[in-house]
Amino acid sequence: MTPVFAAGSDRPEKTAIKVGFMPLTDCASLVMASVLGLDEKYGIKLVLSREHSWSGMRDRLLKGELDAAHVLYGLVYGVEMGIGCAATPMAVLMNLSRNGQAITLSRKLAEQGVRSLEALAALVRKGSRRYTFAHTFPTGNHAMFLSYWLAAGGIDPLRDVQLVTVPPSQMASNLAAGHMDGFCAGEPWSGAAVQGGSGFTVSTSQDVWPDHPGKALGTSAAFADANPHACRSLIAAVLEAGRWIDESDEHRFAAAEVLSSPAYVGASLRGIAARLQGEYDNGLGRHWSDPDPLQFHAGGEANFPFLSDGMWFLTQHRRWGLLREDPDYQAVASRVNRVGLYREAALLAGVPAPSNLLRSSVLMDGKAWNGRDPQSYAASFSIHKRTSAISN
Amino acid sequence: MKPPVQRNLRIVVVNTVPDPAGGGQGIDAQAQRNAALRIGLLESGYDIVAALPADIFLPERIGQIQPDLIIIDSESDARDVLEHLVIATRDEPRPIVLFTDDPAPSSVDAALAAGVSAYIVDGLQAERVKPVLDVALARFRREQKLLDELSDTRRQLADRKLIERAKGVLMAKNRLSEEQAYQRLRSMAMNKKLKLVEIAQRVLDVEDLL
Repeated sequence: MTPVFAAGSDRPEKTAIKVGFMPLTDCASLVMASVLGLDEKYGIKLVLSREHSWSGMRDRLLKGELDAAHVLYGLVYGVEMGIGCAATPMAVLMNLSRNGQAITLSRKLAEQGVRSLEALAALVRKGSRRYTFAHTFPTGNHAMFLSYWLAAGGIDPLRDVQLVTVPPSQMASNLAAGHMDGFCAGEPWSGAAVQGGSGFTVSTSQDVWPDHPGKALGTSAAFADANPHACRSLIAAVLEAGRWIDESDEHRFAAAEVLSSPAYVGASLRGIAARLQGEYDNGLGRHWSDPDPLQFHAGGEANFPFLSDGMWFLTQHRRWGLLREDPDYQAVASRVNRVGLYREAALLAGVPAPSNLLRSSVLMDGKAWNGRDPQSYAASFSIHKRTSAISN
Repeated sequence: MKPPVQRNLRIVVVNTVPDPAGGGQGIDAQAQRNAALRIGLLESGYDIVAALPADIFLPERIGQIQPDLIIIDSESDARDVLEHLVIATRDEPRPIVLFTDDPAPSSVDAALAAGVSAYIVDGLQAERVKPVLDVALARFRREQKLLDELSDTRRQLADRKLIERAKGVLMAKNRLSEEQAYQRLRSMAMNKKLKLVEIAQRVLDVEDLL
C-alpha cells in the first residue's frame, strides 16, 4: 500500500513508531491498525510492545523507550501534574474508546443478598468488617469510576472501605480467594470473573457515566512536539482501525480472534468476544445487549479529545486529594489534549470532528458535567478528601 | 540533639512468583534475576529484611516492616501495587518514592536500563542507596549476560541444525556431495544477499510444499 502522502513536508519524522499497550480488550484499535496495515497506509510502521504494568509503561514512555501508548486517561493527567512521579509534560492525541469497563462484586456478597450499590452501602454501614475494593492504578480511570460509584452510594472510598491496586489479570483470582470484595477494571478481566464464577457485574462503567472516555493514545509532550507528522499518521491509522472494528459484529469478532493471541491479550476468544459485541451476562441470570457498549469510533464521537474529558480527571484528582490545590483546569487540558493535531488527522482519515471542545454528560448520580467551572464542580461533592495547600 | 545512629539499610526485595503454568521466558527470567539479586545483596553484607511475594498483601506487609528500600524488577506487574503505596504514603512521616529523583541521574538511568526499580524512603541520602543499587545492577547485568549467552548458544545450535537439514535435502534431491551442497547454499545466500540460515529455511520450506 502506498502511503497517502508521497513526499515533502508532510512525511513522518520517523517511520517506526513504538507503541506500548496493556493486554486489555480496548487495545483493539491499536492492534488492528497494525494487523490491517493501516499504519503503512499513512507512512508509519507500528512496533507494538506488550507492557507489564502501568507504572512500567509510564517509565518507558518518559524515557523515550516508547513513543506512544494505549494508556489510562487519568494516568496521563497524573503524570502531567506530578502525582506519584516527577511532573512531565504529556499529550493526549486521541481517545481510543469509550465505555466497556465494569464493577464486579464477589459471589459471596451476592449470596448475602448484596446485589446493588444500595445494599452494599447498607452492609458497609453495619461495620461488621472492613471491605476491600481494587482498581488498576491510583490516578487511573478505574480508580476514579470506582470512587465515584461508591461515593454516589454514600460510601466514602477513602474512609469507609479500603481501596487497593491489583493488576487486572489477577483480579478474578483475588476475588475468588476472598482477598477483596470487588473491583473495577477493563475487559476481558471483568467478564472473566463472572465466567469463572467468582463474581457478578453490579455495574458497567457506562452505567456510571454513559459514553465516558476510555484509554487515551498518549505520548510525552516532547515526542508530540518533535514529531507532529508521525503523530498525525498514528491518529489517522488508529481512527480507521476503530471505524473498521465498529462497522459490524463480524469485524468485532475478527478483532476478538486477533486479540485472543498471547501476543496481544492472551485470553479465550469466548471471554473477549461477547462483551466486545456488547453482549453482557451479569452472572446472576441477567443477559442483555448493551445500548452503550465498548466502542472504538462511533462515527468519530468516541475519539475526539474533548477538553472536558481531561478536565474531569483533574477534578476527580482534586476531589480525592491527589492534587493539593486547584490547577488551571482549562489551561492544563488545552496543552495536553492535542485538538489541532487530531483535527488534521481526522481530515486525513475522512472522520468528522466536532467544533466544540467541551461536551455535556449526566452521570449516575444525576450530576451534570459540561466542562464549565471545573473548580466549582471539583468542590461540589459531599464525599471528598480535598486538602488545602496550607495544611501540613 | 544526638546524631542518628548509623545502621544497615533495611531492604525488602519483591519476588516475582514464577508462574506455575509456565509464564514464559519473561517471568522465569525475572525470577532468576531476583534470586541472583538476593544472593548478591546478602554476599555484600546487606540486610534483606524480607523477600515478599508480589501479591495483594504487599502494601500491608511493607507498612508493617517499614523498610528503607524496596527493590523490584521493573517488569513486574506488582509495580502498580507499589505505585499505590507511593501515593498513599505521600503525607506520612516515612513516605516512599520511586528512586528517580536521584541527583546523579546516570546511576538511575543505568538501574532502569538494567530493569531495576527501587523505591526508597524519602529523605534517605542517595549515597546510601547507590552502593546497593550498584550491587543490584551488577547482578542484574551478569544474569542478563548469562541469559543472553544461553539464548545465543541455543540459537546458533538451532541454526546449525537447519543448515544441516537443508544440506541433506540438496544432497538427496540433486545428488550432491556434502561439500557441493554446502557450496550451493552459500552461493544462493550470496546471490540473494541472505544469511545461510535464511536460505536453509527457504530450501526446507520448498521441500515441505512439495
